Amino acid sequence: MFKEEIKIFLKGGSGKVGLALFTLLLALSLYVIASFPLDFGVRYWNNPSYWADYPITVPPAWYNFFSDNPKPEHKIISAEEKSFDNNLQLSFRFKQVYDDFPSFISLRLGKFTLNSLNPLTLELYLKRPDSEFILLKRQILTSSFEGNPPFNLYFDEPLRISLTADPDVSFEISSFLSRKYNFKILQTELLSKGAHVALFGKPEKDILIPLKGDYEIVVNLKLSDPKDKVGEARLILGGGVYGLMGTDSLGRDLFVGLLFGFPVALFIGAVVSFLVALIGTFNGIISGYMGGKSDTLIQRASDILANMPLLPLLIFLTFVLGQKLWLVMLILIVFGWPGLTILIRSMVLQIKSFQFIEAAQALGSTRGRIILKHIFPQTAPFVFAQMIFSVPGAILAEAALSFLGLGDPSLPTWGQILELGFRRGGIYSGYWWWILPPGILIMITAFTFLLIALALEPLVNPRLRRIK
Amino acid sequence: MIVGKKLALRGITLLGVLFSVLLLVVVTLGATGLSDNMLKAIVSDQLRELRTSLAQTIRDPLELEKVLEQRRNQLYDFYGLDEPWYNRLPDLIIRVLSLDLGSARNLKSFSGSSKVSDIVLERLPNTILLVTTALIISGLLGLYFGVKLAIKAGTKFDRFFSYLSSISYALPTWWLGIIFILLLAFQLRIFPPTGMYSSPPPSDNLLKFLDLLWHASLPILTLVVASIGGWIYSVRTMVLNVAQEDFVTLGRAKGLKESTIMKRYIIRVAAPPILTGLILGLAGSLGGAILTETVFGWPGMGRLYYDAILALDENVIIALTFLFTLIYIIARFILEALYMVLDPRVRY
Amino acid sequence: MMLELKDLTVNYLTDRGRLKALNKVSFSLSEGEALGVVGESGSGKTTLGLSLMRLLPKNAELLEGKAIFNGLDIFGLLEEEFRRKIRWKKISMVFQGAMNSLNPVIKVGHQVAEPLIEHENLPKPEAYRRAEEALEQVGLNRQVFHCYPHELSGGMKQRIVIAMALILSPKIVILDEPTSALDVSIQAQIINLLKKLKWELSLSFIFITHDISLASDISDRIAVVYAGEIVEIGPSEDVLLNPKHPYTKELLESIPRITLDKLPSFIAGSPPDMVDPPKGCKFHPRCPEVMDICYREEPKDFTVSKQRVRCWLYND
Repeated sequence: MFKEEIKIFLKGGSGKVGLALFTLLLALSLYVIASFPLDFGVRYWNNPSYWADYPITVPPAWYNFFSDNPKPEHKIISAEEKSFDNNLQLSFRFKQVYDDFPSFISLRLGKFTLNSLNPLTLELYLKRPDSEFILLKRQILTSSFEGNPPFNLYFDEPLRISLTADPDVSFEISSFLSRKYNFKILQTELLSKGAHVALFGKPEKDILIPLKGDYEIVVNLKLSDPKDKVGEARLILGGGVYGLMGTDSLGRDLFVGLLFGFPVALFIGAVVSFLVALIGTFNGIISGYMGGKSDTLIQRASDILANMPLLPLLIFLTFVLGQKLWLVMLILIVFGWPGLTILIRSMVLQIKSFQFIEAAQALGSTRGRIILKHIFPQTAPFVFAQMIFSVPGAILAEAALSFLGLGDPSLPTWGQILELGFRRGGIYSGYWWWILPPGILIMITAFTFLLIALALEPLVNPRLRRIK
Repeated sequence: MIVGKKLALRGITLLGVLFSVLLLVVVTLGATGLSDNMLKAIVSDQLRELRTSLAQTIRDPLELEKVLEQRRNQLYDFYGLDEPWYNRLPDLIIRVLSLDLGSARNLKSFSGSSKVSDIVLERLPNTILLVTTALIISGLLGLYFGVKLAIKAGTKFDRFFSYLSSISYALPTWWLGIIFILLLAFQLRIFPPTGMYSSPPPSDNLLKFLDLLWHASLPILTLVVASIGGWIYSVRTMVLNVAQEDFVTLGRAKGLKESTIMKRYIIRVAAPPILTGLILGLAGSLGGAILTETVFGWPGMGRLYYDAILALDENVIIALTFLFTLIYIIARFILEALYMVLDPRVRY
Repeated sequence: MMLELKDLTVNYLTDRGRLKALNKVSFSLSEGEALGVVGESGSGKTTLGLSLMRLLPKNAELLEGKAIFNGLDIFGLLEEEFRRKIRWKKISMVFQGAMNSLNPVIKVGHQVAEPLIEHENLPKPEAYRRAEEALEQVGLNRQVFHCYPHELSGGMKQRIVIAMALILSPKIVILDEPTSALDVSIQAQIINLLKKLKWELSLSFIFITHDISLASDISDRIAVVYAGEIVEIGPSEDVLLNPKHPYTKELLESIPRITLDKLPSFIAGSPPDMVDPPKGCKFHPRCPEVMDICYREEPKDFTVSKQRVRCWLYND
């Protein structure tokens, strides 16, 4: 049925490339919809504690391939468990091979199942290539529960010990360095630098340099009941690089955020352009075919709406009425339809004078039938091309608004990611992995639809199209 | 006379647009209770001043409170705060029209005033400077390259530029600005990344002007690159359309010089539709300017928008929305008048 | 002979291949003579006009042919020389579709005067005076001078285009379907105007039209064009009353006549595809008198009484 049309569409390069890119965008979006929760924005993206164990503003992992000075990768180490008497020993072994320190080190323990409410004692030891075990910290964990055992502790929120920022750890490690190397560093100074510099460092002249080799960190828990359990134990070595796309200043994995941006962008583009096409065509046909008062009304309204400066109004309305995506889309639709209506109206005026319309009228067809069977099909290809053509406009408008800080906070969009990068001085600090990808994605998405619209042009140009 | 009538008709439509925006703004403000808050803030400002001046004469705190309470009621009555918001619409419209919007929350003008009208109006020339310069440059370049491209229509060169111009349409202006800053300001260090003058600005007038030029280069480049694709493409299309017309062949047949044909038979005839394109793109360029100023920290109205959003300063945002609409309407009117001069078919 | 055209052959390069627009077209034209060129649309008539003005589109190639105008080979001249000496000055043209022949943003008077200003370097007032005279000559009011094209009717525009063609007092005026877009009554006015001008100014016309009866009204001789070739050429009366080529005969049969009882007939078949024309004689698929040789060989020109005919029927 559409064989000829498809052939013409695919004839040029733009049709092929556009369709390929669109398929890719659609596939990614469907993947995200299938695998991400819908409240991803609120539950994860804008929830700082979810990202607490991620390194902050680091470039992507593949950056190391191009860099002379590879940065340590982000590592999450699981524990080897040993228990004797009432002791539970969790040991984390790892090798330090980088010329650079990890950006932080922290411990995460969670899902304790306890059979009594007696306090637990937690001891933290470090074994370095140049030493035996050093006691870093001793802490008593108390808890209060009502009811009967077993008690669940640290289930919602795990226990976090940041070795980097812990005063006890700093104190112990600085006294170790002073004992072993006669290297003096104040606890407070160490705290401001981050204790990991001392934990993984050895002195050379006045500074600490990374000490390579095998490390082991052991957590010893003195339990009051041998059946007590710790469900989750992880040691996190903050990397200098992370993942496919790096992280932002809240430690958020940009890859995930960018990925989530695909369905959001397509959703905005599709819904806005579809409704604009629907309303625009409907009003255009009514205005052109019916004439009279409804024509005058629609013409006046579209003349005024089409001539309003969009961005200032978008800024004003979202600022005053709230930063909601549906509101932005509504505004884009309200100010978007008149352009199409004006075009469709003049098309309908032309079509109306064709003989087959007069013939249909003479045969006694109803207005509704003439519109549906004769007029709408004539405009449909043009409307379709216009719909595709208006997709980038909607996506770019939302991105612009997000860039001005008026994005919907419950949904991450590319514009918002870029905005935060810009506001946090990403340009000045050279956070290219934060600034460049969202812009590139916005551009590619907009370009995809432009290519498709370009390839559709010879099919639907009303002047080229002969009347069947 | 017919010109006058048509122009007046366009003027009325554009005034209708301005009024609609105004109405939209004030109704939104009224219905959300923001206008109440604005007026209440004005009242409490006045009461604060009154309190400090009265505190010298009236020693009794109770007495002072009573006087202030009285004054508050008077002011509420004066501003109509005891009435529903829709009764105050005419008053609010006049306030917006005269930019009498009280004082900004945190923002200050360069001279230190916190009156909204001072803050906004002093930024106006900076924005106009940026937008008009960029518009003129991209217009001239677009005309030049569009005609060039039309002459070479169908060649590889032409196709390459057609793709380039659709890429330029897909490029968000602000992102382009960011790229330019990264590349030209930080990597190559040719231009300053932000601002309008060095600090401190040079005292010599000529040097100061050059300093301005240097600072304006990147924002202008951004605006030009972002809009030139559309320009080139529309000029090319219009020129190609006109070049196929019979009267151009006739002009050639008459033995006219090729330069005359180009000037009087092609460009001159294509000028009105090109201008139409400009008119339709005007709102877009204004939006582009808001974003470009934001990226480059250019102290114009666009950057003020961003600052006001961050500072949650609704008074400034109202003033800016109105002023942007006003500028837009004026520019539209000038362009449409120009259209009537250019196209005799509309004139009669 | 004032103009002698010999073996003009023109191709267009199109997406589908070479379109053979004109094939060995020859004729001559003497001073004060009107030659009617008659043919269906797409037969190459307009290409003929454009070739003589040297205004062929870019995708056209002039393969062979000579046009000698008063001893000067106009295809051999340099473009600039041709523009200054011949184009519009000696040979001018009235294009098809007067509606689009005028620049919409320039006053018509100036458009008429333009060749005087550009070509003759006449001062503006002098040029304008002569333009006004030219407007009067074609039956228009002087006031028209200050009008823009959109303010004028189709007939008025056509007169202006004619005035424009006459402004440099050329020897030859090529008229390409000068009346086809006009109402019948206005058509007659324009034809009468042309006759009058031809008489008064002793002009030569090349009158290109699809309407053979219109051509016979104004022309001294008629050339019938089919598929890019002149199939028959001769004095108007002879061609009309005693057609030789089968195509001419069919063409004349197809004209409705009040004086005859017979209904007009149609020419069977459709015009050939000029990218891939029939072998041999291009008319053979539609020809009622087709012979074996017509399938194989292109016909040569034969002289039969006062006509020159390109048809094997006259091969003795």
